Amino acid sequence: MTWCWFAPVESLVGGELAAAAIVSGDGAPGGLLAAWPAGRKPVAHALRMDVRIVDPSGDRCWVSLVLADRGRAPIFDDVAVSAALRAVLRGPAPDAVSTLVRDSTHFAGAVTVRRHDPGLIADDPFARLAPQRVIEVAAGLFGRTAAAPGPGTQRYSGHPWPVAGFDA
Amino acid sequence: MRSDLAPGGMFPDLELPDHNRVVRSLRELAGGDPLVLTFFRGWWCPKEQAFFRELVRLQDQAEVAYTRMVSVSIDPPEVLAAFRAGLDARWTFLSDSGREHLDDLGLREPTDTVHHPYLPTTFVLTPGLVIHSVYNGYWFWGRPTMEELRQDLRSVTRALRPDWAVAG
Repeated sequence: MTWCWFAPVESLVGGELAAAAIVSGDGAPGGLLAAWPAGRKPVAHALRMDVRIVDPSGDRCWVSLVLADRGRAPIFDDVAVSAALRAVLRGPAPDAVSTLVRDSTHFAGAVTVRRHDPGLIADDPFARLAPQRVIEVAAGLFGRTAAAPGPGTQRYSGHPWPVAGFDA
Repeated sequence: MRSDLAPGGMFPDLELPDHNRVVRSLRELAGGDPLVLTFFRGWWCPKEQAFFRELVRLQDQAEVAYTRMVSVSIDPPEVLAAFRAGLDARWTFLSDSGREHLDDLGLREPTDTVHHPYLPTTFVLTPGLVIHSVYNGYWFWGRPTMEELRQDLRSVTRALRPDWAVAG
């Protein structure tokens, strides 16, 4: 499977692939970030995310969490979304990145992970599209992935970018 | 050039560090998409600069056409990263600064005895790295025009996508 469920939650709900505490950041209440296997939706507000960025052995990291409200989410084909994807491909490449998907059409947000350049985390191209939280997340959730190959900015079968490959 | 690097032959699955110093394989970078693979002399060569300006224009179509692009030279990763950024290229550049594959592929440029670079060569490959077409760019006019690459990519994509005929 190429995607998983992802959501901020107050406590574990069971069945997580991985989860980690929000340890510091923007002053909002802490809570957890969690990922679950594809399949039954674990919580109502869960979104689909590239499963490759999940790593239960991943180190503590800085995360830019961009979440678009359902009523204000741009469509993935919006030129502003394409511009953000191009900016990510230009680099500097983050440790991991995935857009978030709620339905077949709309951009629901993005998760961007960095460990060595916390100054870059606030300068997240996706933050131009929807509200951003910059947070520090404990070890145990996010890993490290190679940069998206480029230059593709289109999704495959509605999966979260940069998941590649059409469903058979 | 090695005689088996011809249409219908299999291109070797090279593993080299990308412009971020992360080792990548061609098969991984191709994913399930057609791949335009360019070997080039280096950032200093005016012919490469002219050719890459054309590739950057092609990129605007490749990014929406489920097509990958990869470029290889003997420049170190940080030089490739700078060249890539200056071009506004958003695809992956691979560094063979150790010249590990240059002789094995038979792609050593014969006249530049200072840099010992790659012979400028462009391949269009299927996702499985089967060679569809080859262009020897030692003389500049041997390189593919963007129209020739479009025709090649149309042919590879037509054979690759089972639903090609749906639109027709």
